[in-house]
Amino acid sequence: MGLLAAALAVGLGALGAGIGNGLIVSKTVEGIARQPEARGVLQTTMFIGVALVEALPIIAVVIAFIVMNR
Amino acid sequence: MENLRQIHNRQKRALFFLLALLALAWGFSPWPTVFAGLILGVLFGLYNFWILTRRMERFDRALAQGEKAPSLGSGLRFASGIAAAAIAVSLPETFNLIATVIGLMIPYLFLLAERIISQLKHPDPGGKER
Repeated sequence: MGLLAAALAVGLGALGAGIGNGLIVSKTVEGIARQPEARGVLQTTMFIGVALVEALPIIAVVIAFIVMNR
Repeated sequence: MENLRQIHNRQKRALFFLLALLALAWGFSPWPTVFAGLILGVLFGLYNFWILTRRMERFDRALAQGEKAPSLGSGLRFASGIAAAAIAVSLPETFNLIATVIGLMIPYLFLLAERIISQLKHPDPGGKER
């Protein structure tokens, strides 16, 4: 049961991060293609977005690891 | 808006200051395992941010030169989170596990707080830059 819980936590967390990161990167690339002079601002926004999107899956992975090692 | 390197440097400075305070607390407080866990978590969080900044710059360079975009290194950051937890799990008499997980998230909270404060101090003038 612990293994299943860990798998669910990692899987769903990674799914959310994948969708979120994909949206952020695609919109940033689109924005840079449209306005190459705004590259710096878009890159900074993307950095913050990716960092915050990944915070939750990292917690999910860590919790899954703890659950597995119980 | 500042660039990536400036944000990372400010974050690094603040976190090193926090690490110094945590090291003092580790030495002098009656809960050394909690502060050791926090220090471990913050160190791994700092490493995560360093990877993210490096990968972002590489991604930007690849985009500018029209090359194939490299990965953003999510797996590496997940692995470093697991490494922090693994160290805390294997040495429970030295590191508190909950404190390690909290410490891992402190850089993210710092980033969020720093961006909110910076946005309040220097509001974007009607999105002119964009």
